[in-house]
Amino acid sequence: MLHALANPSVLLAAEEGGGGVEFPPINLIVKWPHAFGEGQWYGFNKIALISLIAMIVPVLLFWLAGRKASLVPKGVQNVMESSIDFVEQQVVLPAIGPDGMRYLPMLISMFFFIWIGNLFEVIPTAHMPANARMANPLMLAIVAWVMFIGVGLKHHKLGYLKEALFPPGVPKALYILVTPIEFLSTFLIRPFSLAVRLFANMLAGHILLVTFSVLTITLVGASLLVIVGGLSFAMLVAFTGFEFMVAFLQAFIFSLLTAVYIGGALHPAH
Amino acid sequence: MLASLLVLAAEEDPAAINPVVPDEIGEIFWGALAFFTLWILMRYWLLPPLMKVREERRAKEIEDLEAAEAARTAAEQVRRDYDTTIAEARTRAAEVLEEARAAAEADRASKVAAAEAEVAAQRQEAMAELEAARAAAIDQMGGDVADLAVTAASKVVDAPLDVASHRGTVQNYVEGNR
Repeated sequence: MLHALANPSVLLAAEEGGGGVEFPPINLIVKWPHAFGEGQWYGFNKIALISLIAMIVPVLLFWLAGRKASLVPKGVQNVMESSIDFVEQQVVLPAIGPDGMRYLPMLISMFFFIWIGNLFEVIPTAHMPANARMANPLMLAIVAWVMFIGVGLKHHKLGYLKEALFPPGVPKALYILVTPIEFLSTFLIRPFSLAVRLFANMLAGHILLVTFSVLTITLVGASLLVIVGGLSFAMLVAFTGFEFMVAFLQAFIFSLLTAVYIGGALHPAH
Repeated sequence: MLASLLVLAAEEDPAAINPVVPDEIGEIFWGALAFFTLWILMRYWLLPPLMKVREERRAKEIEDLEAAEAARTAAEQVRRDYDTTIAEARTRAAEVLEEARAAAEADRASKVAAAEAEVAAQRQEAMAELEAARAAAIDQMGGDVADLAVTAASKVVDAPLDVASHRGTVQNYVEGNR
């Protein structure tokens, strides 16, 4: 419901439908007006604002945690150290190993940036995950892509490309088939799939919540269908809870896959 | 599938955007600026104090564990020393007891020996006295018997007999039957 309230044009679209359920076009639920710089490279809209908040919140939290860090952690320090432990134990060490600790700052930044950007889907009055737009997922996927190729080339020089394109143990005749597949999957599809996985999940969740918001408003407005409207509202609440979980899960998956790709580049034999 | 649906939707409505294609360069710019700022701050400013305190905590844990291990070893040593001391004390107590027992035994033996010697001496003295009394009694009895025998013989023969002259004969007889 708040989705629709946050964007009056959604309600307008419903009303224009002559009393029936009229879902807003995709433009209305993902495109946001600019505060300044429309059409320019520095154009600042709601997504840009969420991106800045997704940067500022972890900076504040980690700053508060590290400001008076003590041997016995309390309060925010305890929480942030637990998050470091989580990324270290669940992402870095299983996917890369102990030598992956140098990538911890990047992976923690990635995790928090995505998670907080996603959480805006369920934050009242915001109701728009930054990653439901392709910009941030694409940018982060390019970062991951550059990182894992860079790590591979740094540690194994051109041997990395050889290992990646000509996997050992495969009969030489099959390289005609395997090498183009490996090239496509490793160097082209990986970043694309990484970006689309995050973007599509968040956009789908966003569309789902908008759909149930519009449905609830429309059904509650129609007197005979108030009960069905209540059911629709219950679904909206349930999917909001679900999206809360998806926000975390997608941040974790993106960070984990980035770590897996870096680990694969660091130890191509494995 | 979602992407293809969105593309189809975009094709149906020329005004609709294709959300798969990033159409706002500003979003990428601000997103990249925010992410790289976060990454740099995290790398050089935000994480180091927390990582440092984690390392210090780990070092402190190791130090505390080592101290606990040292304390445990020391306690173990104290316990061993205590056990040794107790064992030595018990041994010494047993020795002292044995020595006391031996001394008491020796003292008892010497006292018993002394008592026995004294008893033997007293007995010997008593025996000597008894022997002397017996001899005196026998002597006394020999004279009386001679007197009585001579008196009886004088009665038998109805004539007076000299007691003094026959006393020797009677006494010799008694002596011979002693």
